[in-house]
Amino acid sequence: MRSLQIALAVARKDLRSEWRGRELLPALATFVLLALVIANFAFDLNGASVPRLAPGILWLVLVFVGLVAFGRSFAGEKERGSLEAMLLTPAPAGALFAGKAGAAGLVLLATEAVLLVGMALFLGAPLSAAVIAITFAASLGIAALGSLFAALVAQTRAKELLLPVLVLPLWLPFVVLGGRALQEAFAGQAMRPGPSLLLLDLGVLFWIAAVLAARFVLDD
Amino acid sequence: MTKHRLPYALTATGVVTLLGALALVFFFAPQDAVQGPVQRIFYVHVSAAIAGFACFGVVVVASVLHLVRTGAASDRLARAAAQVGLVMLTVNISMGIVWAKPIWGWDPSQTWDARFTTTVVLWLIYAGYLLVRKFAAPGRQASRLAAVVGIFGFIDVPIVYFSVQWWRTLHPSLRAGNGQPALPAAMLLTFGVTAVAMLILTAALVSVRYSIEQQAEEQESRATNASLELAR
Repeated sequence: MRSLQIALAVARKDLRSEWRGRELLPALATFVLLALVIANFAFDLNGASVPRLAPGILWLVLVFVGLVAFGRSFAGEKERGSLEAMLLTPAPAGALFAGKAGAAGLVLLATEAVLLVGMALFLGAPLSAAVIAITFAASLGIAALGSLFAALVAQTRAKELLLPVLVLPLWLPFVVLGGRALQEAFAGQAMRPGPSLLLLDLGVLFWIAAVLAARFVLDD
Repeated sequence: MTKHRLPYALTATGVVTLLGALALVFFFAPQDAVQGPVQRIFYVHVSAAIAGFACFGVVVVASVLHLVRTGAASDRLARAAAQVGLVMLTVNISMGIVWAKPIWGWDPSQTWDARFTTTVVLWLIYAGYLLVRKFAAPGRQASRLAAVVGIFGFIDVPIVYFSVQWWRTLHPSLRAGNGQPALPAAMLLTFGVTAVAMLILTAALVSVRYSIEQQAEEQESRATNASLELAR
């Protein structure tokens, strides 16, 4: 119970800091819109090709946004030396991690909202409940793994280089499962709850594993 | 020699069994009626994959032990197994490419086979594992961070194994539709012997790498002690 309160307090602190500073979210939203403009020109999109290409564009933008969102979450704390200060408190490392990962995950969800709306407006990709459910379900596991490895690389030299090398291969199950489900959703097929539930299951599993591993990553 | 007897014993056994396995591959196993002699790559290709997976299994077990008990030996073992595992996976991938070229007319730009892709991802994960060791502060931090990567990276091993069932793939299954082995007995025997030989050779390589790491650590510790003595 106390761990949950600590996690919520850390998440609140991160979200408040983001709300007051307004640094990450506007930058990520701009990045998302720019990426969509580039995709539009790069793929020469039209009504016929959008349903086929939209899942790929969505995942490409999403993983790069994730790299920045999670990378900043721990790198900023490390640069300010505030991570060490938090670790000096008696709060369990797992709770601190869960709070930071939760806040970074919410930032990712907000960016996804911009991405989905942008795709509907600029690319004409159909925005349905299935698309939203699949994207948000995949974010759970992406946030857990992304935050764990962002915390890990924050302790090393060459963080910017290591984060994509380590986390992109591990995000692959989400991209594969989510990509397949989004292909169906963008093609207008009826929503099947299976893929979203599987993504949620995987997400919960990775959250538990990441919170358990956080002690070893943040300990140093 | 007496101190490091295990690497010598394993290397000798590995070389002898591998020579026996190669004799079976080239002189005992029947020629595949459709693919011809190139099918003989299968024995080393699959055995190298098994050896690679076994190495990554050792990385996971040693990493868990290291996180629980913080021993230098388990960390050394994880490091050695990861390096050899990467070598075995490289053998597996390169043999697979040589085999696939004439049989599938394989072109990676046209066919992203599921098992090939997931195996390359596994290779990248454990290459990342070695990079973490390189970029983290040497000692306790590097070993603990790498242990976490080593454990999480193993997620890809079952994905590689089940990829032939989950996705449409050009890779054949080792089991026929009725659940029986897809290979005749002579081929199965040859495959079994080659797999055992590769595992022994892998164990030999891991033990050699382990003793090299151990000697390097001892030398470093002697050098540190000598400079401390000089400073006094």
